[in-house]
Parts: sequence; structure tokens; C-alpha cells
Amino acid sequence: MKDNKTLAYINMFAILGSLPKLCEYDKRAARLVSLRESVSIAFEVNGGPSATFTFGNGTCFVLGGSHECDIKLYFNSCEHFNAMIDGNAMPVPLKGFTKIGFLTKNFTKLTDILSAYLRPEPEALKDEKFFNISTSLMLYVIGGAVAQIGNNDKIGRFSASNIVDGTVCLSIKDGPAVYVAVNNHVMTAHLEKNAEPRAVMQFADMHTARDLFDGNVNAMDCIGKQKITLCGMISMLDNVNRILDRVAVYLA
Amino acid sequence: MARKLNDYTKSREIFDRAVKVIPSGVYGHLGPGEGCFIPVEAFPFFAERAKGSYFWDVDGNRFIDYMCAYGPNIMGYNDEEIDEAARKQLEKCNCTTSPSHIMVDFAELLVDTVASADWAFFAKNGNDVTTLAIMTARAHTRRKKIVFFKGYYHGVSPWTQKIDYSGVLEEEVCNNIYVDWNDLDGLKRVFAENKGQIAAVISQPYMHGNFMDNEMPAEGFWKSVRELCTKNGTVLVIDDVRAGFRLDIAGSDHYFGFEADLICFCKALANGYNVSALCGKNFLKNTVSGISYTGSYWMSAEPFAAGIACINKMRRLDLPKILMEKGKTLTEGLKATAEKHGYDLRVSGAPSLFYLRIANDDSLMLHQRWIAEMVKRGVYLTNHHNHFINYALSDEDIKETIEIADEAFRVL
Repeated sequence: MKDNKTLAYINMFAILGSLPKLCEYDKRAARLVSLRESVSIAFEVNGGPSATFTFGNGTCFVLGGSHECDIKLYFNSCEHFNAMIDGNAMPVPLKGFTKIGFLTKNFTKLTDILSAYLRPEPEALKDEKFFNISTSLMLYVIGGAVAQIGNNDKIGRFSASNIVDGTVCLSIKDGPAVYVAVNNHVMTAHLEKNAEPRAVMQFADMHTARDLFDGNVNAMDCIGKQKITLCGMISMLDNVNRILDRVAVYLA
Repeated sequence: MARKLNDYTKSREIFDRAVKVIPSGVYGHLGPGEGCFIPVEAFPFFAERAKGSYFWDVDGNRFIDYMCAYGPNIMGYNDEEIDEAARKQLEKCNCTTSPSHIMVDFAELLVDTVASADWAFFAKNGNDVTTLAIMTARAHTRRKKIVFFKGYYHGVSPWTQKIDYSGVLEEEVCNNIYVDWNDLDGLKRVFAENKGQIAAVISQPYMHGNFMDNEMPAEGFWKSVRELCTKNGTVLVIDDVRAGFRLDIAGSDHYFGFEADLICFCKALANGYNVSALCGKNFLKNTVSGISYTGSYWMSAEPFAAGIACINKMRRLDLPKILMEKGKTLTEGLKATAEKHGYDLRVSGAPSLFYLRIANDDSLMLHQRWIAEMVKRGVYLTNHHNHFINYALSDEDIKETIEIADEAFRVL
């Protein structure tokens, strides 16, 4: 069962939260945000998350909360925000009518590119470069979603309540990594490798990660075949794994 | 001279076949996932044969086995006396329409052996009898709520699991209350907040949970828990599936100086033959009679014969004392060896069920590397579960284990 508030947090910080990585990986995305003057958009969701996205110099930067911005978009509920992410609703612009062009053109194109990677056509995945970017972005989204579910979803919070402090790193060998920092059962995702993780789950290669994300292989089989390696504080991974089960519910 | 490291080629070949026809290849605690085979390449997957304190894998590697099949092997694998009793019974009858009369002999022996037992009910696995214990407590008290101590393991039925476990419904665990081990004030608070609603407190005799140092009950803890349960009309269930007969032949509640209302046994009960038992007090006997609970193989006679032989042998030897001594010799040797190499090896729990942890780093990665070096050299330890001592473990085995530990610490 999905909780709308948790989904809103996932949409804000895991899905839109992967935009910085998209701009890093995809030249078209970087070009869309190669602006002479940076533009910042604040998303404010009544009873839900808020975040400010700043675009410029071919990069994107995300800050939690509604901050100084050029465009402010308001959503009257989590359901409203989630519907906007699904393309079924429009936000209420509170500020930034002069910069609305960035929102309707550049930002929309940016999210279209992101959608193409996160919900790829099977044909597109035959291109190795596209496949690698798509899989990497999925790893970041999953890492972000773990933190949001651990903080917001009822069952996820139970799992998080059993996780000791420290960092859990999820990585693809010789590829991208994401780590979730746990402090007093509150989780924060970081889209990078951690130098001293307390627990590690590593996928042997991009294809193993992809097959797992797509539900085409079983994690236990992969552990036995050494396609997934685990080490460190296994109780942390055990509970993160339970949250990963919930990720599948929200991102399906 | 350095020892030859194990090769697991055949284990891996069989695993490749296994995953095609068995979920996870080897599921559950004996498999690489739940069994925490870290790193996987250090561990064998499949056994070929076993004798005494050893098992040999399909690649011919011999292991001094400190997991004892996760507890059942208490006398040593293929114990001749127990196997002979089982074989003789098998020649007479095993799974029959009327149960063999030796079921009564076995129940009488358990009642005579286990201090808190007035009766015995037989099943197959630990989970069968922990579940019956909870059903009994609920039927007797007509209450719903169950108190658990965090870090518990009482089987795999939905009521034993948690809200975030796959396949478990919220409704199946919504009457579970979790209290920290040794937290008497917390337990008192729970009783006060749920007055007249708690059917049972279920607990292992001491905290031998995974991933953490094992912890004995604090002074006076069990006496107070017993009093709280009695005062509130709550059934006190001891899950002695794991520790049973390795602390005290009369039951682990007896070891800690109190009496459970219900006590669950399995694992060491019949040295690997498949039988479990719920024992209990007279006041609950009629309640158990009224519960619809049975299974196709629960009254098979072969495991009863093995159980009778096993209990008689354990009693004759005063086995828990021997296992404690062997465990003490082993763990003191391991600790001293670790210290020699500059490692802080923590030993916790009862010596006959010792738990190990290298405390030099808080990620346990160092510990996992050491365990791997031990296993690769033929000492089967596991990363984050307590271990088990068996009677067949010899002084030579202990000496060899410590020599291997020395080499394993050296190569870390």
C-alpha cells in the first residue's frame, strides 16, 4: 500500500533529486541548464516536502526546503504534487511569471529526458551508453527512495527504527555508488561513494544491478553466485533490504 | 607451514543447478544469504558426509564444525548409540496409523528430565512448538497480546515475524509488543499499559540474538519476570529451542532458577532426528488438549527412539557441564590467540553456545575477514550467530582450531 505523503517525498528527493546526476551524465540535459544566469525553482507542497532546485552552468543543485528562488510553485496537497509528477496536474505558480519560460520549456524537457531513462523503452536499453546512464540513475533514485521511505512510510519507519547509526553504501563495481547515512534512525541519501561505510552492498556489474532493479533475478541467487557482495554490519543491510522491498511498491 | 586453503568447485557447480530448481539455491539459515556467508567464496555450500565433530563437503574439505547444524548435533554426528536406537525402531515401525507406544516413554522421560514439565507434546520443528505455546497462552487467557524481547527469534510463522517482513500482514503482528532485553522497568510499563491484555511473555533463556554480543539475564531479572507474569495471569513461555540441554539437562529455566509455564525444545532433543517438544505445567494441559494441532509426521517413532537415547546419554554424562568446559577451553584459547596478534576478540553467551565478535572495528568487516580465513582453513564458524559445542569435539580438535586461529589472525 502506498502512502501519498511518502510518495511525494520520493518524487521530490529521489526522482527530482536525481536531476543533478542527470545533468552530469547527459549532455542534452546539461545544455538545457547551461544558463547565463542561474534559475531556481522552489516546490512547496502543503503537508508535504519542499525543496529548491537551482539550475545554471550546466548543473543542478538541490536544497531541502523552500528558499530564495526565481520561481515558486505551490501544491495544495501531496496528491496534487504526485499528480503533477505523473503529468496529470499543474502547479500553482506563486512567483516568477517572468521566468516561466524556463519552467515550461527547459525544465519540462529535462524531466522528459529523466523519464526516458527511468522508464526506458526496451529498444533504448540496447544502447550501452543509454543502458549505463539509465541503470546509474535508477541506483540513485533507489538510494534516495530508501531514505524517504525509511523516514516517512509507516512500515519503512519500523525498519529504520531497527537500523543502528552509520552509513550503508549501495554500489555497482567500478561504477556509481549511493550511500544512506543513518543517524538516530533518520536516513539521508547521498549520491556518492562513502569512504568508510559501515555496511556495503555491491553489485558485480551494471547488468546484475539492472536485472535486480527490474526484478529479473533473485537477490539470494545473486549472493550465492557472488554477483552481489555484502559486508560489514549486516543487520543494517538486512533492514535496508526490507525498505528496498517497499521501494518496489512505490516505484512500480 | 601454511595450511592449504579449501577449494569449493563442486559446491559451486551444484549451486548452479540448485538455483534453477530451488528458490535461492539453498534457502534459509543454511544458505549463503541468510547464513551470512561473508565473503561467499570462503564457504562451502553442500555436505557429503559427517562424523563426530566434523563434516566433509562435496569437494572433500573437512571442517571442525562449530555450528553443529545450527544446534541439533549435540553428541556428535552419527552417534552410534543414538543411531542404533533409531535404526532398531525403524525396523519395527516409524510412521504408522497408531503411534508407537514409545511416544509415551519419550514423554515420561521428558517429564522426568525437565524440571518444569508435567506433560510433553511432540511435533517436528521449533516453530511448531513455539506456535503451539502462543496458541495455548491465548486460548488459556483469552487475551491477544504477546510480549517479545528485542533480538528474539522464535521461528518463522507470521506471528514471530515483523511488520516489514515480506508476506507478513500488519494484522498478524499488531498484537506483538517489543521490550528491550533485561529492561524490567520497560516490561513493567508494558504490563501497566496493557492491563489484562497480555496473553504471554515469550523469551529465550538469555539474549542469544544474532548480530550482537549475547547477554545473560541481569541479577533478579527472571525472578521479577516470573512474578510479573504470575501476578498478571500471563503465561511465561521459554523458547529453549536453541539453548536447550546445552545449559542444563533440566531446562534453561532451571539453570536460571525459575519455572516456565511452557518450554519449547527442538534442535538438541534427538541429536539431529526430527522432533520437537512443547512441555508445560499441568494447569495448561487441558487447554492444549482443546487446540486443533497436528501434523503428518509428528508421531513418527524413529525420532522418538533417537530422542530417548539422546536424553538418556546426556543425563548419564551430565552433558551440559562437559560442553561448558569444552567451550571454555576453546574460547579462552581463541581469545588469547587473538590478543597475541593484537585483536580484541569478544566472547559472549554461555561457553557451550559461544558468540564471537572482533571488536577492533565497528563495521565487523575485520571480524568477517577473520571468520573467512578460519573457514577456508577448515574451521566452520559463522559470522553473526552463536556457535554450538558438541560432545564429540576433542581436545585435539580444540588444539587444531586454535592453531588455525593463529594462522588466520596472522594473515589478516
